[in-house]
Amino acid sequence: MTAVAERRATSVPPTARVTFLGELRSEWIKFTAVRSTPWILGATVVVMVGLAAISAWSFSFLLSNPEDTGGPGVLPDDFDMAVQAAVAGYIMAQIVVAVLGVMVISGEYATGQIRSTLAAVPTRLPVLAAKGVVVSVTAFLTGLVGVGLGALVSIPLLSEHDVTIDLAREGTLLALLGAPLYLVAVALFALGVGTILRHTAGGIAVAVVIFFVIPLIWPNLSPDFFQETSPYLPSLAGARLLEGESATAALSPWQGYGVMLGWSALALLGGAVLLRRRDA
Amino acid sequence: MIEAENLTKRYGDKVAVDSVTFSVEPGRVTGFLGPNGAGKSTTMRMIMGLDRPTSGRVTVNGKPYAQHRAPLLEVGALLEAKAVHTGSSARNHLRALAATHGIGIKRVEEVIELTGLTDVARKRVGGFSLGMGQRLGIAAAMMGDPKTLVLDEPVNGLDPEGVKWVRTMVRYLASEGRTVFLSSHLMSEMAITADDIIVIGRGRIITTGSVDDIIAASTTGSVKVRSPRATELAEALQRDGVTITSTDSEVITVAGLQASAIGDLAAGRGIALHELTPISASLEEAFMTLTAGEVEYHSEAPVASAAAASSTQEASR
Repeated sequence: MTAVAERRATSVPPTARVTFLGELRSEWIKFTAVRSTPWILGATVVVMVGLAAISAWSFSFLLSNPEDTGGPGVLPDDFDMAVQAAVAGYIMAQIVVAVLGVMVISGEYATGQIRSTLAAVPTRLPVLAAKGVVVSVTAFLTGLVGVGLGALVSIPLLSEHDVTIDLAREGTLLALLGAPLYLVAVALFALGVGTILRHTAGGIAVAVVIFFVIPLIWPNLSPDFFQETSPYLPSLAGARLLEGESATAALSPWQGYGVMLGWSALALLGGAVLLRRRDA
Repeated sequence: MIEAENLTKRYGDKVAVDSVTFSVEPGRVTGFLGPNGAGKSTTMRMIMGLDRPTSGRVTVNGKPYAQHRAPLLEVGALLEAKAVHTGSSARNHLRALAATHGIGIKRVEEVIELTGLTDVARKRVGGFSLGMGQRLGIAAAMMGDPKTLVLDEPVNGLDPEGVKWVRTMVRYLASEGRTVFLSSHLMSEMAITADDIIVIGRGRIITTGSVDDIIAASTTGSVKVRSPRATELAEALQRDGVTITSTDSEVITVAGLQASAIGDLAAGRGIALHELTPISASLEEAFMTLTAGEVEYHSEAPVASAAAASSTQEASR
């Protein structure tokens, strides 16, 4: 054996080891370091505010021209126009959030980053958990900002009709927070799908079909089976949060959200099993 | 210290790594030599816990890699150039890596300086050259100041200065008592950089040993002789265990006899010699000999392969 040289001093703490908090910081650094992140988050907010403005304007048109449009009577009972306008953007925002959820993992597979990530944290599951925390927090905060700004643009449009957001009214807060919570479930579902498929385009396509296409088709199919099961589809179940209490709905708002989170958990579980088993 | 025991990886019917057993010792540079597709990268990915072995096992510093609580402090790996998100800067990539183990920003700056990336640390990795990507990969491998380094084709894509830098670096790291395991398909590079060599072909270990031993064992030295009476000399040298080939009427190549024996015999018969040159085989020739028949993708150059085949027969006779 050759002579052993003295090792240079380094700044690596001898106590250094993998911790979940460290992995969380690592995922946060990666998430914010990528240029697409601010674009996606910005797009989410813009879409939410834009749809809030369009909704508020159309509600205002409805109230201004009751003889042409049938007036507010065409809307369900207890329909809170100001609140529903503020959260209307969630429908489109969920697509952007789904893209984010898929890309946070599929982007690593596309670039080869995943091998660096999994070599640093070879037990692998903390990687998925940390990504879940990062996309959840981001989806919630983005949704909150989107709803807040949506309310700010829609209230002036409806104020001439004495319609406004009354936070003291029952169900208002639930509906306003419902949109960000809904987006959290979408982000987690998309992360699960992205982990299973490891492919950006495929993951986004699957998420869009499940959250956007199926809910439009499924309830309108003729056998009773489809109508009976449609409240349990992830998007329709989760939307109960924003709709508020209803005597006719199959699920209460929180039951509906629970069902939606169940779907997200299922997708993540599938992703976790495959992440552990497959070669990177 | 890396120890592989009957390590096997199958993809469907195809055996990528076929029951390999080897150990890589600390304080030395061990080369992992083989043609493309021989199973080098697959073996290295199994060492790093990225690919699951079909059977057998491999440990690093006494444990399977995934069971270490601070894997970056045990093993640093360069497995492919640019295993990095193209949208990230080099510095952010290293920061994210360091964060997993609670390693501070000071170490990030250290490895950036160590690998000469200071000027490009804030640039997006997507725009990096292959050489820059390699330097970033080595920076990442050095992050945890690891006891063991696993480097897959570290000089690939580097300019001559970069090649020399890697060579000096791995020699130094081994001199510090670390285990250094690096792969290459370039025999010449291995001959300069490595102490020990593991030769792999078609997923199987062909031979292991020190560079010198491998060269000595796989070829018999030959002697180039130039003489106006070359034909006459060739007849005189003819005996069991001696192979004589002739390239032109005045030059013969003699395998199986020392230069001194040839000179003495020629002097005894009064044959004038114009040249008497011992030719020691290069690692490259040794490698060609060892892996003949083990190369997965033969090139379709008939002249080159015929020449390689005949020299192989000569050597093995």
